[in-house]
Amino acid sequence: MHHLEIASLGCRYGKLEVLRNVSLTVAKGEVVSLIGPSGSGKSTLLRVLMGLTPPTRGEVKIDGETIDYGSSRCVRTVRERMAIVFQQYNLFQNMDVLRNVTIAPVKIKRRPRPEVEADAKRILAKVGLSDKHHAYPDELSGGQQQRVAIARALALKPEILLLDEVTSALDPELVNEVLDTIRGLAADGMTMLIVSHEMAFVREVASRVVMMDNGQVIEEGSPRQIFDAPTSERCREFVGKILRH
Amino acid sequence: MNYTFQFGVALAQLPVLLSAALVTLELAFLAFWGGALIGVAGATAKTYGGPALRRLASAYVVFFTNTPALLQIYFIYYGLPEFGVLIPAFIAVVLGLMLNAGAYLTEIMRAGFISVRRQEVEAAETLGMSLFQMVRYVIVPHIAKTIYPSLANFFILLVLGSSMGAIFSVNELTGTAIDISTENYRWLEMFLLVGVIYIALTFIASVSLALIGRFAFRVKAKVF
Repeated sequence: MHHLEIASLGCRYGKLEVLRNVSLTVAKGEVVSLIGPSGSGKSTLLRVLMGLTPPTRGEVKIDGETIDYGSSRCVRTVRERMAIVFQQYNLFQNMDVLRNVTIAPVKIKRRPRPEVEADAKRILAKVGLSDKHHAYPDELSGGQQQRVAIARALALKPEILLLDEVTSALDPELVNEVLDTIRGLAADGMTMLIVSHEMAFVREVASRVVMMDNGQVIEEGSPRQIFDAPTSERCREFVGKILRH
Repeated sequence: MNYTFQFGVALAQLPVLLSAALVTLELAFLAFWGGALIGVAGATAKTYGGPALRRLASAYVVFFTNTPALLQIYFIYYGLPEFGVLIPAFIAVVLGLMLNAGAYLTEIMRAGFISVRRQEVEAAETLGMSLFQMVRYVIVPHIAKTIYPSLANFFILLVLGSSMGAIFSVNELTGTAIDISTENYRWLEMFLLVGVIYIALTFIASVSLALIGRFAFRVKAKVF
């Protein structure tokens, strides 16, 4: 059975149809990468999945259970199973690193603080930030902030991690430290849905690549298939433009 | 200059002046916290309210920030009795200062409200926080940190502004000094002394506010 199943999902902002008809599946342990031009609906898809933007039609299932995005209780259970990392990190500026990572497990999941903190320290070590427990976001570089954001998402022990252009706001020399972190997660078998413009990275880490344009899935397949032998004209054009650089 | 300073006479009144200084602080505190409550309500109305509420809050702010606080207290103290509402001087001064402060604090709080980053709120949402938890852990701390320096400055202004109580025979610092001076005629000494006490009050207030800000909200304000 598919872990995450998206069927004919649609979403509109007023008259603008951002998602037209998106169907997509993600199996457990799979790393699916969404690529496509800006405005193609990749980020909106992740926002809809997290319950930040209501879908206008279609269906999302996790482990075969249909998610009702109109019910706040149902959305809450979705947020327990999936976590998202944003392009702009979106850390809480008024909290230090450790508190950013621990606040949700302690205050929302009501897990005991010592246990959560031990967990958080282990996760922070994994993303290479053991020495920054008590630093505040404004004292960190973009790459460090983004790794804290990843740690904060992981602290909730999500089954699926959604990454929304997590390296797009970073200085070029900071991109790799974040990509390394994600490589580590992929190696650990984390199920991920990654929106990224780092094509070399996508080719390396993704088990499947989904090309989107204009709110629709244009083509999907293995990285090799999408990058080396795309079948659709639109995909060929996009990949050609990107890989030429 | 032919004036001979006699500070001894003034200094003999120090205990009276110090207890009057407490009344000054009391006025400032009451006006500040009352004004802060009004400010939260006003800023909420202006930021999230419907057109009618927004216009009402704006009218309040425009009226109270464009007329002298003294005038406002006059209306409360001398005007309201005409409508059968008789208020003691102390309460009238607190009310007047409070309404005036509320107007300024509405604008200060509003600046805080609109500074909340939507991304932080969204992050809180996706972590599973309820509205109450978001307000408590993300929104209020953010607003507090943002507006803290303005609030601290405004409190200092209120400490000084409470001297208007003198005109309504409230025994705060300035009023008490006027009363004593009319008896002992040592106006200059008395007011030099009162000036020093005001400086001490605002200095203590600034330093403690800056320290609280530094530790509670990580506001990087210079203490000195």
